[in-house]
Amino acid sequence: MLNATPVRSQKAARVIDRMSKKLNRQIAGSLAACVHCGLCTSSCHYVQTNPDDPTYAPAYKADRIRKIFKRHFDWTGRVFPWWVGAASVYTDADLEELKDVAFGKCTNCRRCSINCPMGVDFATANRMMRGLLVSVGVMPEGVAVVSKDQWEIGNQMGVLKEEYLDTLEWMSEELSAELEDPTAVIPVDVADADVVYAINPREVKYDPRTIADAAKIFHLAGESWTMPSEGWDMTNFGLFSGDDDLGGAVARRLYEKVVELRGRKLVISECGHGYRSTRCEGPNWAGMDVPFEMESSVLTMLRYIREGRITVDKSRNTTPVTFHDSCNNARSCGLYEEPRELLDLVVTDFREMYPNRSENYCCTGGGGAMSMSEYTPRRLKSARVKAEQLAATGAKVVVTSCHNCVDGLSDLIRHYKLDMQVTQLVNLVATAAVVPARVAVPAAAGRPAPSLAGRRILVVDDEPDVLVFYRSVLEDHGATVVEAADGETALALARREKPDLVTLDLSMPGTDGGMVFEALRRDDTLTDVPVCIITGRPELRRLIYDRAVRPPEGYLDKPVDDETLLRNVRKILEVT
Amino acid sequence: MSELLHFAEHRLQETALAVMASVYALRLVWLFRFRAGRDRQAPTGSRPPAMARGLLYSWLNVGMPWAMESTRTQAGLYAQFVVFHLGVTAAILLSFVIPYAPHWLDSRALVFGFEGVIGAAFVVGLMRFYRRLSQPTMRAISTPDDYFSLALLTVWFLLAVLAAPNRPETNEPILLAYFFMTAFFLLYVPFSKISHYLYYPFTRYYLGRTLTHRGVYPIRRGPASAAVEGRRVLAADAHRRPERSPTC
Repeated sequence: MLNATPVRSQKAARVIDRMSKKLNRQIAGSLAACVHCGLCTSSCHYVQTNPDDPTYAPAYKADRIRKIFKRHFDWTGRVFPWWVGAASVYTDADLEELKDVAFGKCTNCRRCSINCPMGVDFATANRMMRGLLVSVGVMPEGVAVVSKDQWEIGNQMGVLKEEYLDTLEWMSEELSAELEDPTAVIPVDVADADVVYAINPREVKYDPRTIADAAKIFHLAGESWTMPSEGWDMTNFGLFSGDDDLGGAVARRLYEKVVELRGRKLVISECGHGYRSTRCEGPNWAGMDVPFEMESSVLTMLRYIREGRITVDKSRNTTPVTFHDSCNNARSCGLYEEPRELLDLVVTDFREMYPNRSENYCCTGGGGAMSMSEYTPRRLKSARVKAEQLAATGAKVVVTSCHNCVDGLSDLIRHYKLDMQVTQLVNLVATAAVVPARVAVPAAAGRPAPSLAGRRILVVDDEPDVLVFYRSVLEDHGATVVEAADGETALALARREKPDLVTLDLSMPGTDGGMVFEALRRDDTLTDVPVCIITGRPELRRLIYDRAVRPPEGYLDKPVDDETLLRNVRKILEVT
Repeated sequence: MSELLHFAEHRLQETALAVMASVYALRLVWLFRFRAGRDRQAPTGSRPPAMARGLLYSWLNVGMPWAMESTRTQAGLYAQFVVFHLGVTAAILLSFVIPYAPHWLDSRALVFGFEGVIGAAFVVGLMRFYRRLSQPTMRAISTPDDYFSLALLTVWFLLAVLAAPNRPETNEPILLAYFFMTAFFLLYVPFSKISHYLYYPFTRYYLGRTLTHRGVYPIRRGPASAAVEGRRVLAADAHRRPERSPTC
């Protein structure tokens, strides 16, 4: 009996059809040229932590794509498929297997690409495969959610315009207060500025201090600058999802806003994939030549110091620091020397990490891995390479110029219990920046911190030490604190005490934070109580944001210091 | 010399070479049918990137074992690569010397040279075969073409070593085997992974163009990457930086 030709699913047929449109000479060459020498194998952090599993080897992963290419586009594979390892995809299950490789076993860090003697750029081929899978709806849930937000809301974290502008206003007030200078503000939509500053929505959502720090530096430098009210997201999930249409739309949105404002230069805040997407890939995806200059804020800050526009005192940053090169910055954009030059100016104790620059290892949260919670165990296992790298430096602070790396590093530091903090250059420069006399704050002239007296705050966390810390910080500033160590108690106390604010941990035994959050929102008597999520597991964000209820009023990553806690609590309670 | 050997050394080789060249031409036409990507981004650096230098770096990369971590840290494999490819070059050269300049082989030193280089490549071929069979990762990424190509070259090296003295009067069967094998090799190469060298200039060109334009190539390493590669590093090195012009 003759073997019947397997029936191909509609999705599999579309993937093959679209592959013909996506292939360019560079990718075709890469797919044709691999000799399976295996030299790239040890360059991958997944391999180093899974030495007995050959399916993590870059050449093996590339072969999952190559076999389709050979079967359909290379005539040796068409004629002798078995001989050259060519094979097609037929079922949706085949596509799911490809998804597991393209999204779950590779962060597109490009480390194997620069270690291939043949110049095979597997990362680029893998991004192409991601894009093909996304085009037929085969992708991790997190990728779908984030892509949807960036398509529909305009930024990848679903930050609403009001929320963004409110945060800028808040940070503006913080800056004015810090510098005792009413002119120290964040200008929005000012036309003809020399600098238009674009940021990562993570800064609005989880790390607004970086916005205030950048604003402080622009102000001290006397820069003519502005932030756009729309199109302000310089990140681009199209880089991770492989969706060039999304990449082009997002990039165009930002470019058009800069043109509309007649900005002379677009300065991109510290973000590896944002920098690569906006400065390098964006013009290609958008199919337009960008009529203004673009640079990383790292270069802007370095220039300000070199030109004497800001003065820095490195003795304010004495903790030993090391620097983690983001893959996108260092390996795909050549931005690796300037951060070190800047660090040399603002810290006293810099310790190099090895390997470094374009040979550095991925933070292991790259390529959108932080949004793919199904692969978290894999990611954290592979992070051992990075943890060992970090620990070997002996530094207490790891500096990086990438928000994605901040999350990836923070997560692995918690997982491997390293005694380290993660920060960015903008924070160090703002700390080291010397405020000149004209805007100097007299030592005794600081305003008393706004009191939280009369505010009742329910703090929920299953770690006793954390509860003690929150209680002491909040009570020291006048708040009345009620504690709960689990979800059930939290709900009971909330109904009884009617707090003004709930701070909520996500990972708790029994009723987890996500369930408590939804219960609070669905309770008519508690639905208006603001909630601030404080979690040590950012991958659990989806427990909150996937729920069909109003999002939380605040979100903080652990570990949280007293200043950050108070600033966010005051902001949510509108205590100024 | 028998007519058969004369045919094997001349007409057969010329035909096989012509077929190989034709298939290679078709291969290049095939590759060029894919559109070349365009990079619209502004070049990295205050001055135009040294594109020629970057491309040269990319093309010569394979001859600079210090340039990549994969070759720096796997010196044994790199040495095997060098010996193997020198062996291929020598074995091909021999297939031209025997029919067109046999008097060269009157020199015992040259014969020893061919035998030594190709013999070493034969040993490397066996080592590579062992590696491909014994390592799970290598097995997982190997196709029948990978095994066959390696076996073909290894046997061909052995025949080349035996044929190098060029003694048709006493050793014609070996010479016949070598030349028929060479012809088969030439015919098989364009259809196999051995044709990788045809793509090498293109893959390295496109990767080199992109990474040079973006300021990544030539790769600059930190002063003491060697620390993780098992070499001792002076603490003072940690304060040295490679020189580099401002970027962006």
